Amino acid sequence: MNEPIVIENLTKYYNSFLALDNVSLTIEGNENVGFLGPNGAGKSTTLKILCGLIRATSGKAYIKGFNIATQKEKALSQIGTIIETPEFYGFLTPKETLNYFGRLRGMSGNNLNKRITEVINLVSLEQWLNVKIEKFSRGMKQRLALAQALLHDPPILILDEPALGLDPRAVIEFRQIIVETGKDKVVFFASHQLSEVAQICQHVAIIDHGRLLGYDSIEALEQKYNSLENAYLQLTGVPIE
Amino acid sequence: MNELKRLGIVTGYEFLKHIRRKRVYVILLLVLVTEAAVLAGFPALMGGYPESVNLMATLLSIGPTMAVIGAIFFSGDAIAGEFENKTGFMLFTNPVKRTTLVLGKYIAGCLAVAILTVVAYIVVCVSLLVIYQTIPVETAQSFGLCMLYGACIVAVTFFFSAVSKGAMGATVMTLVLIMVISGVVESVLMLAGQPYWFLISTAGDSITMVYGGIELMLAEFVPLEEMGNFPFELESPDIGRSVLAMVIYLVVGLNSSLIITNRRQLS
Repeated sequence: MNEPIVIENLTKYYNSFLALDNVSLTIEGNENVGFLGPNGAGKSTTLKILCGLIRATSGKAYIKGFNIATQKEKALSQIGTIIETPEFYGFLTPKETLNYFGRLRGMSGNNLNKRITEVINLVSLEQWLNVKIEKFSRGMKQRLALAQALLHDPPILILDEPALGLDPRAVIEFRQIIVETGKDKVVFFASHQLSEVAQICQHVAIIDHGRLLGYDSIEALEQKYNSLENAYLQLTGVPIE
Repeated sequence: MNELKRLGIVTGYEFLKHIRRKRVYVILLLVLVTEAAVLAGFPALMGGYPESVNLMATLLSIGPTMAVIGAIFFSGDAIAGEFENKTGFMLFTNPVKRTTLVLGKYIAGCLAVAILTVVAYIVVCVSLLVIYQTIPVETAQSFGLCMLYGACIVAVTFFFSAVSKGAMGATVMTLVLIMVISGVVESVLMLAGQPYWFLISTAGDSITMVYGGIELMLAEFVPLEEMGNFPFELESPDIGRSVLAMVIYLVVGLNSSLIITNRRQLS
């Protein structure tokens, strides 16, 4: 099993609430996949299971063949993530934070310093490199989160609405960075923004009420439903006028 | 990269957290103020320092004890804070075992309390040298017990930090257990003539009891003719049993926090 992401019959209950209902999905090859669905559809729950933050009630998830439940550290070494609104230790600077996470991932010395400079430049935080994060705005933390997700150059990026709350210019910059860096990676990208997903991804998975409603290329969905928007609305059960 | 190396990295950054935050310095200040109050207050109220160097060492031991209790304030958020502040979304997605993360945090917490304890004992030793030109040999034993008590308190705090939603809850629960519940149960068991060596507050008392115990305090402050009038039997806790109690709290507290944190979900 060498596919970047394999999800098999994933079910998740929060007490009696069914958040994921037997979801199966396989992402093959280097493709960017948008994960679409309304609020509470199960997007974040799926991504959190893939990142080992929560456990599935039943079913399995694999990252590059590593079972996230039983080989968590190996699976996590393959991914870079942004989950929810990122928060960092306020007492550290971006340089120290990236140094910490880089060292935890086995990076060190000049390679780590060089890579920190690269990702910090990429997210335009050069002037804030040695400023404590407690002084950062939400947007700056989002940028730093993207930097830490890219730091170890992982083959897979798992991003949960990474541009949420950013100003329009920052959203465009973010999108460009993800498009550029995602060319040779798998990007599994949860979002509400159909236009954003269309610009970043070649495929989309649509989920609602914990059920995977469709997974196909954007091109195929547009052919079948006339547009990605129609596909989303029809699959999630919203009547189209 | 092995987990031992990762443990060192986590410990280093967690220790940096303690150094950068104000809590450790506030506790250090409180320790120094308390020691100063004993050094200035006793002669002012009693007309001079006690004749017994051991009694003065006992009184000054409130500083190190306070340093250890202060550990609750900077350990309470060690685990709960990752969930409450959502920093865990960054930390727990690194390829590191949660056991390594918790152990790193634990060692860093113990290092911070150890530094406070060392400073407190330096004050004790210097004060005794200046006043009595001697340091009781029991001070080394008291220091060792205080370090063990510190490790035990941090472990118990970690347990509450692992089960709590927030850092404040963990801090308050630990304080209530040690300062209130344990103290009340100790009094009840003492009055009932039952053993109470297994209580965490009693185990902590061993830090001062090495200097001579309750008998030393009574000899200085209670007239001999009133010594037999207590409605219950006063007994200094056995040091060996106190050590055993502290080791049990340490092992159970730390292991419980590891198990709970490993199972806890960040949703």
